[in-house]
Amino acid sequence: ALQGQQPLPSQQSGHAQPQQPCLLPLLSAGELAGRGRQRGPPGAAKPEEFQISAGFQEMSLGDRGGRRRDFHDLGVNTRQAIEHVRESKTGSSGIMIRLSTNYFRLTSRPQWALYQYHIDYNPQMEARRLRSALLFQHEELIGRTHAFDGTILFLPKKLGNKVTEVFSRTRNGENVKITITLTNELPPTSPTCLQFYNIIFRRLLKIMNLQQIGRNYYNPSDPINIPNHRLMVWPGFTTSILQYEKSIMLCTDVSHKVLRSETVLDFMYNLYNQVEEQRFRDICTKELIGLIVLTKYNNKTYRVDDIDWDGNPKCTFKKADGSEISYIDYYKMQYNQDITDLNQPVLVSQPRRKRGSLMPGPAVLIPELCYLTGLTEKMRNDFNMMKDLSVHTRLTPEQRQREVGKLIDYIQKDDSVQRELRDWGLSFDSNLLSFTGRVVQAEKIHQAGRVFDYNPHFADWSKETRGAPLINAKPLDNWLLIYTRRNYDVANALLQNLFKVTPSMGIRMNKAIMIEVDDRTEAYLRVLQQNVTSDTNIVVCLLSSSRKDKYDAIKKYLCTDCPIPSQCVIARTLSKPQSIMAIATKIALQMNCKMGGELWSVEIPLKQLMVVGIDCYHDTVSGKRSIAGFVASLNQGMTRWFSRCVLQDRGQELVDGLKACLQTALRDWFKWNKYLPSRVMVYRDGVGDGQLKTLVNYEVPQLLDCLKSVGKDYNPRLSVIVVKKRVSTRFFAHSGGRPQNPPPGTVVDVEVTRPEWYDFFIVSQAVKSGSVAPTHYNVIYDSSGLKPDHVQRLTYKLCHMYYNWSGVIRVPAPCQYAHKLAFLVGQSIHREPNLSLSDRLYYL
Amino acid sequence: MDKNVQEERFMEVVKFTPPLYKQRYQFIKDLVGKYKPKKVADLGCADCTLLWMLKFCSCIEVLAGLDICENVMKEKMHRLYPLPGDYLQPAERSLTVTLHHGSVAHKDPCMLGFDLITCIELIEHLEESELEKFPEVVFGFMAPAMVVISTPNSEFNPLLPGVTSFRHPDHKFEWNQAEFQSWALNIARCYNYSVEFTGVGPPPTGMEDVGFCTQIGVFVRKYSQTSETAHFEKPTKAAYKTVFKAVYPSLKDEKYLQIAVVSEVVFTAEVIKRSLMDHLNSKHEEYTDGPVEIKSEFQHSKNCVSEDLEKLAVEKCMEPSVSGNVVYIPLTKIFSFPKVNQLCGTFEKFCKLIAGKVTLSSDGSAMVVNTEEENE
Repeated sequence: ALQGQQPLPSQQSGHAQPQQPCLLPLLSAGELAGRGRQRGPPGAAKPEEFQISAGFQEMSLGDRGGRRRDFHDLGVNTRQAIEHVRESKTGSSGIMIRLSTNYFRLTSRPQWALYQYHIDYNPQMEARRLRSALLFQHEELIGRTHAFDGTILFLPKKLGNKVTEVFSRTRNGENVKITITLTNELPPTSPTCLQFYNIIFRRLLKIMNLQQIGRNYYNPSDPINIPNHRLMVWPGFTTSILQYEKSIMLCTDVSHKVLRSETVLDFMYNLYNQVEEQRFRDICTKELIGLIVLTKYNNKTYRVDDIDWDGNPKCTFKKADGSEISYIDYYKMQYNQDITDLNQPVLVSQPRRKRGSLMPGPAVLIPELCYLTGLTEKMRNDFNMMKDLSVHTRLTPEQRQREVGKLIDYIQKDDSVQRELRDWGLSFDSNLLSFTGRVVQAEKIHQAGRVFDYNPHFADWSKETRGAPLINAKPLDNWLLIYTRRNYDVANALLQNLFKVTPSMGIRMNKAIMIEVDDRTEAYLRVLQQNVTSDTNIVVCLLSSSRKDKYDAIKKYLCTDCPIPSQCVIARTLSKPQSIMAIATKIALQMNCKMGGELWSVEIPLKQLMVVGIDCYHDTVSGKRSIAGFVASLNQGMTRWFSRCVLQDRGQELVDGLKACLQTALRDWFKWNKYLPSRVMVYRDGVGDGQLKTLVNYEVPQLLDCLKSVGKDYNPRLSVIVVKKRVSTRFFAHSGGRPQNPPPGTVVDVEVTRPEWYDFFIVSQAVKSGSVAPTHYNVIYDSSGLKPDHVQRLTYKLCHMYYNWSGVIRVPAPCQYAHKLAFLVGQSIHREPNLSLSDRLYYL
Repeated sequence: MDKNVQEERFMEVVKFTPPLYKQRYQFIKDLVGKYKPKKVADLGCADCTLLWMLKFCSCIEVLAGLDICENVMKEKMHRLYPLPGDYLQPAERSLTVTLHHGSVAHKDPCMLGFDLITCIELIEHLEESELEKFPEVVFGFMAPAMVVISTPNSEFNPLLPGVTSFRHPDHKFEWNQAEFQSWALNIARCYNYSVEFTGVGPPPTGMEDVGFCTQIGVFVRKYSQTSETAHFEKPTKAAYKTVFKAVYPSLKDEKYLQIAVVSEVVFTAEVIKRSLMDHLNSKHEEYTDGPVEIKSEFQHSKNCVSEDLEKLAVEKCMEPSVSGNVVYIPLTKIFSFPKVNQLCGTFEKFCKLIAGKVTLSSDGSAMVVNTEEENE
């Protein structure tokens, strides 16, 4: 545990505080900035953001403090290495559709260039404020439009000479020679310019009084209140300016920030009243760690990494000047914040980023002075809460287009924003970008000799295939149905309905072995230990509540110690007589998959193809362990899958485990097919912003190595496709005058893609409400030689193959399977499931 | 004394901790803490650091800044916007922060009626003509209850390393103690104020005559101002340009008060409902071998709130009751919660604030909360 003597709370070094000039300890920042009228001619624009950051590089892509991580994966040029798409990466099939998107072109004056200068001081000046002040004594030379970080100066104009020398005078009467050297003349598309546009744009957002939280900007003046969950939602925008296929564009989407109108201390008290005392610390830690908190007294967010239960507000820490002060006194003095609860523990936040070369110590935060933001896992699972939230956050395409348009309207209408843009010679298009996409044809669903068409508009075939025989139906000869006394009737109802729905599917079913159990975890486990045998097909548990501990215990036992497929059903879902048959149908299908059955298929024209899906689950609670799900197809129809997972401990590379998975998958494939696949296609999900480079430089070569190691003459073609669900891109179709969601099967591989990538978007799913989100696919490695059109079509086909949903989903089925598996292991099992289950979709 | 030794001693002397500018701000903060002014203006507010510090003082309801240089003000003025937290839990007090671009040599009615006006390190930057107009504008026209003026004490300059003439090239003058005091006393006499002198940055021991590094005059108005009549004949033409205005969310604003009350009420009702349901459920589980008893438990609560008994039940006990899928929580019970009580003051106000925002029972005496949970 941490002691009373903490390193500085990081508010100490925050820019909200008056800064002390380094060279002149006597004279104040106030004097340096000047009071009264000592400043140069009025009307000079001062850089607003630059003073608070350490430099352009640092702040260019990130936010305030400046993190170096490249969120947009700039500089990863994978397309040039893929020969067959260098000329063209566009597909061809499907019918044309007129689309618009939430992108706005950024245009610059003809012959526009950004001039980059290096500024030297003689004698050397350390303080950035001073460097600025000295330089801008020469505003008549430099002009009022400039961006300066203390070393590098950007101007929209070229100075008369390549090297200009000027003299300034400090307040001490010291003469300083300033050398302004032109180092670069940047064309509008240069990467530095892109960084620069983003900086300027953030400046604009600030001028418009939008509050920055994390990476996005929000408007706090018109919040949405959801009092029964103590939530407040702020509408806002996510923005980024990047080089896209043909032009530099601003991509902006509506973002909603969920804030909670309770402090961490309120939350703790509430929780304390709800749980047993001895479990309180544990549960509280679990709930809070990983959450982002917002401090009352400044506009900063911190991630909670730990709770110091031994600490309290009376503890002291050392201030920058070496003096010792208690948290109570510090917050009282600095922010006039009274801490009333002197016995509360303190929160600990490890700094995420370096400030210069100095790694600051952990920040210590007082729960009473911190607000919670965002949703906890528990809240996300709260159906009612999510429903109440989605009323406000789920926007129809029309609403979304309107909201996005508002940002551009603000920009066009705000005089200061316009002036700033004009001074730099930049402007934004006032209309959404529009272009033509393609809608590929709907797939046919094959099921045991029968072929079904589905309505492409709904992308769902549950009605069409209801009651049709399955490709491979597993019998229910010997199975258990476990229930509590209260649910006896429900158990019988389930059994009766399963008897009704299974025959038409071709599932042979005996009556279940019905076992009544006390509603306690130990009782369930005892019943399982006593009754499950190696002949058991499946265990069905009827749970009386959605309490996680029972579910976890059952899953853990039946996935590791005693590997038998299991199906948990919450009794309440079967309580409505009108829907019980439909639910029994779903349960029957799910049970069949878990036992290794196959439901339907689509036509896969490529032969000897193994498709792999990988997704990750990050367990933030127990030791920050990551779990990767790995799922590989075993047959031509993509109806059978091999599934394994990798539990990656901290410091261990995920890819080592993935290699082992791939090797076993190939072995299994060989067992089933008597040959090895000639093509391997990896759909890699769970790649964070900025991780692309690692993937390209490290993971792909390892996968290639792994394939090579299988056999001397074995040289399959490999494609690696990064799947990204969380993108800001939205498409709007314009049929019938109003913006609508584009139909499932919409493919976009122009305009909003990136020139340096072999990438495309597919809208595969249909949504009932809100705006549909396209999925972004980025082919980072491809020796398949397949045409882009074929890769797109195959990807879309794979979105039809997820057996837990009789419809098209957002990602290729193997990714969703991998996600499901990783989630189950990460949430409930925490251990690698028994490998004997790996040929079944036991985790569905 | 050896020259080096002397210098060394001076270097020791002139290192102020905390730095002098912070001490000046702290001086103002202490003054605000002592006199609790509601309206405070900072003339020559520069980058608004003092205003930013003062916005945390809970007595202040109006904060204004004035500076001749718009850009210096704009540089960091975003610090003066309300924080997310100010919206999440609006404060009791109201607070408006405005920044004006203009000169202290001009009169503008927006500076009338202040309790405290500060001029920190301002006057020495004024041209002679401006300095001449300054007393009339600040003491004659603005006429706040209190004025604080700070300026460098030139007698201290020899102790400062590197200072040859003035401490800053823009200073038009730097006064010694006598000069400042006679100027100040003259003003006080003219405009019916009292003045006391103090300062920050004490002189080294043995050199007390030098005086503080920064000299400060605190002026207190000797007459009381009778509301608006005092400004009756004063010009109302605006001379300043408003460059910034932020109105902080406050519970004084009915809109925010209602949001706060409704939030508190709905949330508390949720908590009561949940504990009630948990209580019932746990009863369920306890009596697993006696389903009859569970029934009777339900029966009981049902009877308690069945149509004609509902009112009686609510009046008799302040306790919430369950009927089918609905929980009734008496308004008197909700009003008894400390936070709700404190926010509303009276039961009437409470009823008025929640009217139309929460579902009430048919007779309006209880809040109705649905217990139906979604099956998904």
